[in-house]
Amino acid sequence: MAPDFFEDPRRRDIGQAAEEQTFGGSEALAETVVAGRGRTLRTDAWRRLRKNRLALAGLVWICFMIILAASADLWVPHFFGAPTAIDTSKVAQQSLLSPSADHPFGTDKLGRDILSRTIYGARVSLIVGVVAVAIMVVIGLILGAVAAYYGGWWDSIVMRTADVFFAFPYILFSIVLIALLGFGLQTVFIAIGVIGWPSIARVFRSSILSVKNNEYVDAARAMGASTPRILFRHIMPNAVAPIIVYGTMSIGGAILTEAALSFLGVGVQPPAPTWGNMLSEARSSLFTAPWLMLYPGLAILTTVLAFVLLGDGLRDALDVKLKE
Amino acid sequence: MPPLLEVDDLHMHFFTRDGIVKAVDGVSFSLEPRETLGVVGESGSGKSVTALSIMRLIPEPPGKVVKGDIRFRGDSILAMGEKEQRKLRGNRIAMIFQDPMTSLNPVYRIGKQIAEPLRIHKNMSRKDSWDAAVELLKQVGIPQAADRARSYPHEFSGGMRQRAMIAIALACGPDVLIADEPTTALDVTIQAQILELIQEIQARTESAIIMITHDLGVVADVADHVLVMYAGRAVEFGTADDVFYRPLHPYTWGLLESLPRHDVDEKGQLCPIKGQPPSLINLPQGCAFRPRCAYSQGVCTMERSGLVEITPGHFSACQFSGDSGFVEKACGFLSRER
Repeated sequence: MAPDFFEDPRRRDIGQAAEEQTFGGSEALAETVVAGRGRTLRTDAWRRLRKNRLALAGLVWICFMIILAASADLWVPHFFGAPTAIDTSKVAQQSLLSPSADHPFGTDKLGRDILSRTIYGARVSLIVGVVAVAIMVVIGLILGAVAAYYGGWWDSIVMRTADVFFAFPYILFSIVLIALLGFGLQTVFIAIGVIGWPSIARVFRSSILSVKNNEYVDAARAMGASTPRILFRHIMPNAVAPIIVYGTMSIGGAILTEAALSFLGVGVQPPAPTWGNMLSEARSSLFTAPWLMLYPGLAILTTVLAFVLLGDGLRDALDVKLKE
Repeated sequence: MPPLLEVDDLHMHFFTRDGIVKAVDGVSFSLEPRETLGVVGESGSGKSVTALSIMRLIPEPPGKVVKGDIRFRGDSILAMGEKEQRKLRGNRIAMIFQDPMTSLNPVYRIGKQIAEPLRIHKNMSRKDSWDAAVELLKQVGIPQAADRARSYPHEFSGGMRQRAMIAIALACGPDVLIADEPTTALDVTIQAQILELIQEIQARTESAIIMITHDLGVVADVADHVLVMYAGRAVEFGTADDVFYRPLHPYTWGLLESLPRHDVDEKGQLCPIKGQPPSLINLPQGCAFRPRCAYSQGVCTMERSGLVEITPGHFSACQFSGDSGFVEKACGFLSRER
């Protein structure tokens, strides 16, 4: 064969023919290339996510809550009063007012503005949701990866421990943890994070196991890649999509758990407002002042729903195989 | 000087719950620079396991080399530590996988994947390795390589992906290139292009190639020597001419007879080899091919013949290969066209 094979014009014809077969003409090819520029899986996923109305609504709602919670100090106390301020001289007049222009969500027994408390409650809920899930994801990822990649004894130890965690009534378990560690926001993070990791570990383990058998993992080994490189560069990026989805949904779950713990009085302690302890305080005046229950309840419902919808949308958006 | 690559009486067995699977049971060959060795055989004959053993890609357990050795320039690959093996893999010995649709990582750009072996073995910077990757893409015949390097695997067709796989294998200028059925997953026109490309690369780089395939046509095109495998063992070995025009083993006859030919005038039917390959856990006593062999005799059940040199450089593992009368008579279908 001629050594200047690639300069051979006949050769170029073959290449051209192959391209035409694939792309229907070199012009179409050029277009594909231009369209392909700057297109990554991330931008692809974002494009798919944008088409999903419900997921987008969830994302917008979450962003709205984050902005409200983050900017609360700037305007909420000015318009509606501080969430914890009790004006002792006016408690009688201010107590249990129904929603009005001054207090759009009404006031509670001690005359505190419900809107103000709901917005400040969002801070606790969102922080607990994100941090607790971050804790459970870190623990879950490490243990799941160890179980899947090393297998054998490691797999048995990790997964049986996870089974034990699943067998525990989780609210009781976190109450015990809080009782041991003492009250406080950090304790709530830890309690929720520590009970949540088994499901993340399980999802990640099965995800890695399915990715591990792909031929490109063998190809990476054949390339001379080391074990950590294979694990972190070739397996993990292909296995984390379910974790992003599951993690997003878990934020909703963590918010619910925090609300439940605060409702039971073992979460974040009053007077600091959280949606959970607001519900707890609303119990006594459920029929006389239903707005006490309504607004924090709605906040929990919509926020958790938003995270679940977003997680659902991410699942479809991150699925490479789901071609439109 | 020791040969470039030497597989010496390799026995790779898998220890499974059902028993010991003797996937490779005594295979030997050696390879010199610029040489192409074709390895042919049915599915399950041990071709791929042999290749994966050279790359040390067989998970252990369940696999285990119970006997034999693999040497690269005289150094035993089996005795090397993981780190030394890694220095060979992808660098001195590279592999092209069967299915280009699944062998590229879907989350990385093509260019990055071609650059990866360079980053691992040559310590090249991100920028340099990327430029080298674009150059490699050009060399494997991808037009507009600079743009295409930025594509993701799912934006490539099958043939282009196999070209990209070849570029990855070529990146470090390997001495040995193992191609495990590189054209099986591609359609026929693309197959021819890929084979041409591999040959052209060999002419340019002087690397040795192990071409594993069940397609005898492919081997006839490219190989210098041919190793025919059956049930984990070598049954015939010789130059491509010897094996194709003067085959000695009944299994090779069977393979050649089951090949569609355009030069046979009559509307003859294909003659597949009857039966199934034997279970590798319970190999029949004597010759493993005996139950399917039209020419078997009593002695075949008793003992198994190893590879015997019949004519210089041409080996066969059949008891009767040395009997030229037997070969002439049985192999009449081939002599007609010789």
